[in-house]
Amino acid sequence: MGNMSRADFRFIEACPMANVSAFNNAMASAPTWRGVLRKWAPILIITPSLLVSFIYVFVFTLWTFYISLSDSSLLPSYGFVGFQAYADLWANQRWKIAYENLFFFSAIYVVVSLAVGLALAIAIDQRVRGEALWRTIFLYPLAVSFVVTGTVWSWLYSPNAGIEFFVRSLGWSDFTFRLTTNRDLAIYAIIATGVWQSTGFAMALFLAGLRSVDPDIVKAAQIDGASRFRTYRKVILPSIAPIFIAVAVVLLQFAIKTFDLVVALTGGGPGIATTFPANYVYDLMFQRGQINIGAAGAIMMLAALAVVLVPYALWTVWRHRREVAARG
Amino acid sequence: MLTRKVAAVGAAICLLTGAAYAEPKTNLLHQWSQGSDAAAIAKLGEMFTAAGGKWEQTPISGHTANTLAKLRADVIAGNAPPAVQLKGPEIAEWNQTGKMANLDDLATKEGWDKVVAPELLPVMKPAGHWVAAPMNIHRINWIWGSTKAMEKAGIKELPKTWAEFNADCEKAIAAKLICLAHFSQDWTDATVFEVIVYGQSLDLFKKAFVEGDTAAMRSPAMVDAFKEFRLIVDKYMDPAIAGRDYDTTTGMIAKNQAAFMIMGDWQIGIFKAAGLKEGADYVCSQAPTDWAKPGFILNSDSVAFFEQSDPDYIEGQKLLAHLIMSPKFQTVFNETKGSIPARLDVDLSNGFNACQQMSQKDLQASIKDGTLVRSMAHNMTILQKYRGAIMEVITTFVNDPKMTPEQAANAMADAVEAQK
Amino acid sequence: MADVALNAEYLAASRAESRRYLWSRIGVYGFLAIFALIYLLPLFVVVANSFRSLPEITHNGLIGLPHDLTLRAWPQAWSKFCVSGACAGIQRNFYNSLMMTIPATVISTLLGALNGYVLSKWRFRGSELLFVCITLGVFMPGQIALMPWAFILGRLHLSNTIYGLILVHVAQGLSFTTLFCRNYYVNIPDDLIKAARIDGAGFWRIFFKIVLPLSPPILIVTVIWQFTGIWNEYLFGVVFTSGPQQPVTAALVALSTNQMNARAYDVASAAVLIGALPPLLIYFFGGRYFVRGLTQGAVK
Repeated sequence: MGNMSRADFRFIEACPMANVSAFNNAMASAPTWRGVLRKWAPILIITPSLLVSFIYVFVFTLWTFYISLSDSSLLPSYGFVGFQAYADLWANQRWKIAYENLFFFSAIYVVVSLAVGLALAIAIDQRVRGEALWRTIFLYPLAVSFVVTGTVWSWLYSPNAGIEFFVRSLGWSDFTFRLTTNRDLAIYAIIATGVWQSTGFAMALFLAGLRSVDPDIVKAAQIDGASRFRTYRKVILPSIAPIFIAVAVVLLQFAIKTFDLVVALTGGGPGIATTFPANYVYDLMFQRGQINIGAAGAIMMLAALAVVLVPYALWTVWRHRREVAARG
Repeated sequence: MLTRKVAAVGAAICLLTGAAYAEPKTNLLHQWSQGSDAAAIAKLGEMFTAAGGKWEQTPISGHTANTLAKLRADVIAGNAPPAVQLKGPEIAEWNQTGKMANLDDLATKEGWDKVVAPELLPVMKPAGHWVAAPMNIHRINWIWGSTKAMEKAGIKELPKTWAEFNADCEKAIAAKLICLAHFSQDWTDATVFEVIVYGQSLDLFKKAFVEGDTAAMRSPAMVDAFKEFRLIVDKYMDPAIAGRDYDTTTGMIAKNQAAFMIMGDWQIGIFKAAGLKEGADYVCSQAPTDWAKPGFILNSDSVAFFEQSDPDYIEGQKLLAHLIMSPKFQTVFNETKGSIPARLDVDLSNGFNACQQMSQKDLQASIKDGTLVRSMAHNMTILQKYRGAIMEVITTFVNDPKMTPEQAANAMADAVEAQK
Repeated sequence: MADVALNAEYLAASRAESRRYLWSRIGVYGFLAIFALIYLLPLFVVVANSFRSLPEITHNGLIGLPHDLTLRAWPQAWSKFCVSGACAGIQRNFYNSLMMTIPATVISTLLGALNGYVLSKWRFRGSELLFVCITLGVFMPGQIALMPWAFILGRLHLSNTIYGLILVHVAQGLSFTTLFCRNYYVNIPDDLIKAARIDGAGFWRIFFKIVLPLSPPILIVTVIWQFTGIWNEYLFGVVFTSGPQQPVTAALVALSTNQMNARAYDVASAAVLIGALPPLLIYFFGGRYFVRGLTQGAVK
């Protein structure tokens, strides 16, 4: 529940109880155009947005699916071909690497962002001074685009002019810090930079959640003699469990859409080691004029998303039902 | 009475020549959003405005794919751009959609068929009609040498064959220099590799990279090319090629840390911008070629034209095409960039440096000898889907020391076959 | 005697306690400080490089304090540098971005508030399902939407106009704004709405008199989120505009991905700062409300 107080609603309680009977009589008479409009207002309001969202989500996705089954090459065309595009897609080494990278990246990115965000939130929650300052420092990366983040971090990762160069110029001539130029380590550079960008959001949500924990439960645990660590583990964290899910979902959609970050940071390299599905789909659709295979790749990206979202949706429904049952 | 008749005739004439009253305007879609390339396009814009036209351009930054994405979006929206930077087999592909404009009248009037390099004609006229105008000719198979570095290593002149190249590299390494300055990206790796293939076997290049013949890709000749490439990557380049950028690589030549660089002729423009002088600081030569004749790998930027309904845009297309093909533009556009005009009849003695003049001579000789080919690495021969697959294999080979030449050759053939 | 003994024990215990407290304080501040350094490093590099001269950057690397403070990069970035087809810096792109982002943010926020209000307070059959449908839009990758949008904009004759781009961003932003607002409005007590309805208030009255005055936290969250997202968007901004209409992200990409020529790190740094300034300012001033708004909503 939110932290709104009843005081906010004082002005409503000051509203006089109107002439109820007269009002009821008016409503009981023949429906006026005003009444009809009032009744249908919610539907009317929601309809344009619904239409737009419906087109944007479902029509576009269905179109993409159809294109993946068509003979489109340079431009969309609508001759039906079948699932050949999917076969072609999976026969590609680069696609396999990209798909693997997506899962690997998403898993580590979400988990590390959650962990770091939680740690930062807990640290700030310890009644530290200058909270506004800490909060701003960790939140500002969200304001920056992935393109800029990738570019600036690629400067830092550069062995010729970045961190390695800097530390060496300070005297440690053997220092190496080469993530983006190493085939096996470049993906970690992308993960690290992604985490840098998004952890602030996780921290903000966790901080909000920590602040809204019922202080009575915490006091009860402390009276029972639980150490600070125990209190967190057994009492506080479970009570903000829903926040983990909410943050994970938002982070996940960032992860799926990873595109600009890769282009700016490594260009998909070294070689094709850090190529991602979004990059390959873009390449297929626009550089190589193989729109049908690109569409197949896009559908596979959505499939990867469904693998995560469908269980979550089912779990939400199950939890909701359980709550209703508990209440009833 | 008479005046009314005159007025009627006059009006009729006005209607007939209505097109001439259209004000030519254009909007060139291209990817040169920055630096010297953008400055060169600006010059085209100046010429267009000076000729009475209304000039607009849409430069798209980032990867070429972004420009192509915008092109597709515009075509799908029914708003095909009047002029767009397209090259190579893509012009033919777009031509098949039937949406391109026909410039045959202008071409015949100005005699383009006679002055444009013959290798470029099938690119600009994919179905026999002129749909694009070439802006330049780039030569890919150049080798550049840092004069002071070569002196230090005791290398007297740029190597003419790959055997000489290897020997010179040994000398450079002995003198504690990096032999070949390089930075690893898919197009640079592919550039060096196609230069190797071309230099070793003209036949292999034509079969594998122009015709896309996968049997040629599996042949021992291709394996040999990969062997040489493996030697170069492991021994003659330095380990930091991944992640290095272009200007650092140029700097390696400028600071005499590296002896050679294999790159196309735009390197001339870059050297010029970095203040290096031909002859004093750097020397140029045809990249090592084992079959001892002038050879030329050709790359050409061109502007393609899509059919328009607005007469202003139609006039603008004709004006733009005329300007692009004019000797004045061809000179001005190519002087500082390092490339040479697409027209063979332009005199290069003013403003073009020795390397560029050599380039034109070699082009003529190469046409005569039948050794002229178009570049695969720079998207002039096979379709993008094959080229992309090949380039992925090449760049993986560069960055994976465990990949053997045999594996690479087979992977290349497999990748191309997977696209068929 | 016993007092003294007890006292001593007590003193020893409390000293140990305060030492532990001190160490834990050091631990917390140290932890925060280390991470703060990592977070601030890129900002420092960009700010410093915008005040260093290019030869110094090329020579001394990208991380370092300016030897001689030079302001040359700033006017270059704003109004002189040749990028995106003209030599007028990024100021035109900056204004384009403002003209695109502000309307799109305002419209999508208002629509999101209305939608959230409807979906949380005027429940009808299927409203939950509708909510899920609208929210799915959050996950759509841009590459899928590019060609269909091109087709639609073409049909609407909005292709290559700023209005077309605003439409695209509003449509795509609806998913987020509805998600945020609806989760927030769910927390408004239903009794409040019922009481108002009994008092005779209708749909719009309730919205303007009750719901909207309670909305500032979530509206700020939504505005921050949308403004940042739309301002920083590159692909659609570039594909659906032409000529001089391009947003600031196009110029930033041009400056940072320069292939062939020497990169102007100083001008690029200044441009990056200018380009990131509006969202940064919004986060700076709105950060507090961001957390507060997230507290009361967005979390479900």
